[in-house]
Amino acid sequence: MSRPALCRRVRGAAFLVLGWTAAALAANSAGEGKARPRTANAAPCEACHGAHGEGSPAGGIPRLAGQSADYIEKQLRDFENGTRESPVMRNFAKGLSDSERAQLASYYASLTAPPAAGAATADARQLGRGQQLAFEGDESERVQACDNCHGPYGIGLPHSAPYLAGQSAAYLANALRSWREGTRKNDGGKQMSTVVDRLSDADIAAASAYFASVDTESN
Amino acid sequence: MAQRLPEVDVVVIGVGMVGSIVAKELAASGYRVVGLERGEARFTVPEFQSPAIHDELRFSVRKALMQDNTREPVTFRNRGAETALPIRRWESFLPGTGLGGSMVHWNGQTYRFQANDFELATRTRERYGKDFLDPDLTIQDWGVSYAELEPHYDRFEYLLGTSGKAGNIKGKIQPGGDPLESPRSRDYPTPPMKEHFQGAMFRKAAASLGHHPFPQPSSNLSRPYTNPEGVKLNSCVFCGFCERYACEHYAKAAPQTIILPVLLASPNFELRTGCQVQRVNLDSSKTKATGVTYFDAAGREFEQPASLVIVAAFALNNVRMLLLSGIGKPYDPASGSGVVGRNYAYQTVSSVASFFGEDVIINPFMASGASGTLINDFAGDNFDHSALGFIGGAYIGAVNTNGRPIQYHPVPPGTPAWGKGWKEAVLRHYNHTVMLVLHGSSVSQRQNYLDLDPTYRDAWGQPLLRMTFDFPENDLKMARYVTAKGVEIGKAMGAKQVVGSPRKAPYTTQQYQTTHNTGGAVMGDDPSSSVVNRYLQCWDVPNVFVIGASAYPQNATWNPTGTLGALTYWAIDAMKRKYLKAPGPLVSA
Repeated sequence: MSRPALCRRVRGAAFLVLGWTAAALAANSAGEGKARPRTANAAPCEACHGAHGEGSPAGGIPRLAGQSADYIEKQLRDFENGTRESPVMRNFAKGLSDSERAQLASYYASLTAPPAAGAATADARQLGRGQQLAFEGDESERVQACDNCHGPYGIGLPHSAPYLAGQSAAYLANALRSWREGTRKNDGGKQMSTVVDRLSDADIAAASAYFASVDTESN
Repeated sequence: MAQRLPEVDVVVIGVGMVGSIVAKELAASGYRVVGLERGEARFTVPEFQSPAIHDELRFSVRKALMQDNTREPVTFRNRGAETALPIRRWESFLPGTGLGGSMVHWNGQTYRFQANDFELATRTRERYGKDFLDPDLTIQDWGVSYAELEPHYDRFEYLLGTSGKAGNIKGKIQPGGDPLESPRSRDYPTPPMKEHFQGAMFRKAAASLGHHPFPQPSSNLSRPYTNPEGVKLNSCVFCGFCERYACEHYAKAAPQTIILPVLLASPNFELRTGCQVQRVNLDSSKTKATGVTYFDAAGREFEQPASLVIVAAFALNNVRMLLLSGIGKPYDPASGSGVVGRNYAYQTVSSVASFFGEDVIINPFMASGASGTLINDFAGDNFDHSALGFIGGAYIGAVNTNGRPIQYHPVPPGTPAWGKGWKEAVLRHYNHTVMLVLHGSSVSQRQNYLDLDPTYRDAWGQPLLRMTFDFPENDLKMARYVTAKGVEIGKAMGAKQVVGSPRKAPYTTQQYQTTHNTGGAVMGDDPSSSVVNRYLQCWDVPNVFVIGASAYPQNATWNPTGTLGALTYWAIDAMKRKYLKAPGPLVSA
């Protein structure tokens, strides 16, 4: 695995925007095992997405470890071109070259990370509704199963459909709402915005909680 | 003994595309409608969901969505001197069953016929002389014109949300569309599908030869759409599982995604599934239907009285229903008299395989049922047939619908049929081959017809439909001509090896061709050569309408569904404006 070369300009932007802490840098340079390539240039990412790409469920920061490289690369492009709105991510993404995007994406696709602690709690009824939406959909709402595209148990169907299993519930719910609000519109066929238009807030919460609860180790 | 049920206004036999559209219109007009469907109820959720719906063994090989031919097959022979045998496993054509009918498993290719197709006999005589054709051919005019059908084509396409690019709006040629099409009143409701790579290769090659490529009209939608019934469809994800499959994404137009939500909400409509209609009942005069008799899934027999009977059970089953009911005079090929079963026709499909070098990556799996590019330059009567000795033609296109692993493995001629050599050839060619489709017309001829089988019966004890069919010489000549044109295009695309396979006789039921079975209850102006009048109303029993591709006097170049949708709305319009106000013959015989 080659080392992703993230340009200095972006790292600078990260410091400016977030007021990067020394701790984040320390976390980056320390604790690198043999199995994991050195990631000094992914430091801006690691501060939020974790040293292993495990994300931060409580903070709504998505897990990136093992995510589809094509998907990550496209999101980085879309943060820059504005079809996925995020002031924070835009700042990181806007200075990346094509090869930097590709390297970062393949790096995170190559990572494995244990499930992050702090998954949202959900009651059985909510999880049941989430599982129904995931596996089967709902004819009365004319919503098809999430798993049609995102794979069985939401494990992802590369290249374009990201995994949802084990993802931060807060992140998933935010992402779903951003489709509805139009701050995210980077799906060519409007697949996601079409589906989300038909989901209630309770369904968004249920589907997010369900996917967050899926144990990716056993699936 | 049949249990007699309370009378209703309308009974519809078959709740597929035609049945659900007719039922919806009549129920909305205040009539009490019962829909009898022999198969099961099924909906996008949960029945059509992944991963179960992407089971190629179950749906493509074992044909799980098709008419159950252990209980209700069709018998087949090539010619009258042979003994027909039941088709125990569907291959050449795939009649569907269940709520939504065959439209659940279609590809979504939504064409119009051209104006001269509806006046084929007259136009052929005018252009090529009265002695041009083989006297055995029984082509005839439809009794309805393109101009009359145009508003109904339009309505149907807007019901489906069809994605395409107009080539001719009110006589004005539109860049990017098919300049040879008959004029349409407005553009398609949604823009064309994204062109796949082989479509782009084809477009360039065809244009370089002076042809007129255009995007295939698709009812797997290019974008989300809300139809005039208020039903919402999604956009296609190009999963490559359309034909033989149901769509899990609400993206393919089918009754479930275009009209059933409205129909099933109507208090005037009642759906009964698992109901096998045995016959349309007639009164003693044999000129009036009193209703239908059917068995339910538990084997109980019912009589459902109705004032109006709509036969909408797919072309082949429509013809069989008339024969089982004694409606209309059965066709006799020896004398040429009789009408029911006459003018059965099909589709003459040829292919051109273009094998490329390994540097050309096709990705055939990135497709939908209708995302190709094609030309109409050799379709219908778009070229001069004077020196060719046949009529009709084919569209030619890179219209491949999938790259599914069990059934899609193009290999060049000479490849071993199994073993190491075959496997190596599949690996070499799977991703480097373009299969052009040459989708050709089919003339009706005296020897091709449908009747009741004298020997074989269905699970309810009723005679099976017997099909007697072989390709007319006219169509074989046509196939050879258009295949040569397809080979030229394959070469212009830069293929290393181009293999044309014109359709050959005898017709076989062992190889998939198309489910475009047409005729047998044809429409027309003359009761001696048609079963239904120009409004699809039975000449002999005016309170029976027979709506299906069974009405086509012969089949044109294109896939028949768009024209069937137009005819459905055309017939409904006549029912609502005239028939229901004053029941009786809409055309005097």
